[in-house]
Amino acid sequence: MNKILYIIIPGIILMGFGANWVIQKAKNSHDIPIIKQVPEFAFHDQDGIPFNKTRLANKITVLDFMFTSCTGPCPLMSSNMATLYKEFQNVKEVQFVSVTVDPVTDSEDVLKEYADFVGVDDDRWQFIRSDLESTKKLKQGGFMLYAGELPQGHAIKFILLDHNGNIRKYFDGTDDASQAVLRKDIAVLVKELRS
Amino acid sequence: MKSFRIFIYLSTGLTYLLIFIGGMVRVAGAGMGCPDWPKCFGRWIPPTSIEQIPAHIDPSTFNIVLAWIEYCNRLFGAIVGLSITITLFLGLKYYSHIKRIKWSLITAFFLTLFEGWLGAVLVHTVLNPVTITLHLFFALIIVMLLLYASQEVYYLDNPDAERQSKYPSRMQSLFVLLAITLLIEVILGTEIRGGLEMIRKDNPMVDSQFLLDMLGPFKYAHSVLGFLITVLCGLIWYKLVKRSVNPSSLVVQTSTSLLVLIMLQIVSGEVLVFFDVIPLVQLFHLWIASWILGIISVQYCAWKRSSLINE
Repeated sequence: MNKILYIIIPGIILMGFGANWVIQKAKNSHDIPIIKQVPEFAFHDQDGIPFNKTRLANKITVLDFMFTSCTGPCPLMSSNMATLYKEFQNVKEVQFVSVTVDPVTDSEDVLKEYADFVGVDDDRWQFIRSDLESTKKLKQGGFMLYAGELPQGHAIKFILLDHNGNIRKYFDGTDDASQAVLRKDIAVLVKELRS
Repeated sequence: MKSFRIFIYLSTGLTYLLIFIGGMVRVAGAGMGCPDWPKCFGRWIPPTSIEQIPAHIDPSTFNIVLAWIEYCNRLFGAIVGLSITITLFLGLKYYSHIKRIKWSLITAFFLTLFEGWLGAVLVHTVLNPVTITLHLFFALIIVMLLLYASQEVYYLDNPDAERQSKYPSRMQSLFVLLAITLLIEVILGTEIRGGLEMIRKDNPMVDSQFLLDMLGPFKYAHSVLGFLITVLCGLIWYKLVKRSVNPSSLVVQTSTSLLVLIMLQIVSGEVLVFFDVIPLVQLFHLWIASWILGIISVQYCAWKRSSLINE
């Protein structure tokens, strides 16, 4: 019996180390790769306060491109964004940014009204605007999304950005499956930021 | 005949390893590492890069690490299946006249086929929680059947085993009660684990030590049953070791191991509750439970044999 124990116990310890290695590997495999840096930009939020790249620092950001008078997929995107906004209300590191692709119609006041309409009651969700040229430049050059025909072709993506202003992942802003993954990935990035 | 002995012991050991590996797949979250079955991403050997994924499968489901973890589980499962098949073949060849060996091997074989099929169902139902629990439940039954057959073979080789030993006669209901309680306890345990995963999915920002508080009443049921199991195991140890005449070394050693393993279960269980839900501790907590069940089955057979040959 003692001889068997001499084989079994080291064997089990070895299995423990092996299993631990596998579990860690599996855990790390959920890491989200860095796609690219967001370039510098100079926009304003719905209160007229400058919103540039420094506002992304030390925050996990979910960003989308929309316009308030859009009747296509935007209402669904806004409703999904509002759900996330509510879910993460106790996580101060997470912010939401909606960039209007129709700055002519979407003045500061219109954006402010829209923010009220979707239930924004603090500074965790910003609606930002600039002139059409800068918006196109940010969208196509910065986020690699087609910006030929704004505002109609505004893209239905939610883009996840980390605390260093890196693009980490793109999500479909209209389907539930992507929202579920996004929710998980936000948590991963927040833990990355806190650690 | 020697080859049969090698294979029956080998199959038992490998099945225990497979339970460990299956638990590891579960805690690593690799159950859906391969979205199809029996192939992995349409290939017999999993892809090593995203280009190898066939067009009809969504490439965003590909995670190379998880795919290979799940694939190793399937590969090992196939090896165990093969080993049990050979064991059945040799068992029928040499021992078809001994009903206990014959029927426990035949049952184990068919349950193994059933397990393979359940594995496919698991993938097709995207890890249905009831199926996951059944998958474990039948693995435990298979390992107990194999242990039973191994022990019967051991008694064929050692006909005088348990002849000198005299155990208390009324223990049948104690063993049955303990075995049933243990199986229920394992099922409750998997429910807790499944419940934790659901809560974690819905509340990704909650730290894992608070997750347990969000669970329903079955975490208390698990503790209460655990306490009952501890008492029953203590009682078994007392009867088999202290209230017996000349107990065999197998019975004494398994009784002592039982108490040690129960202690380990209490400690690891408390670690999970009070510190953190650590995957590695979860894995061993489950695996030790399968050992305890095996030990109870071995003790029951030894006790039964002693009462039969000493009648």
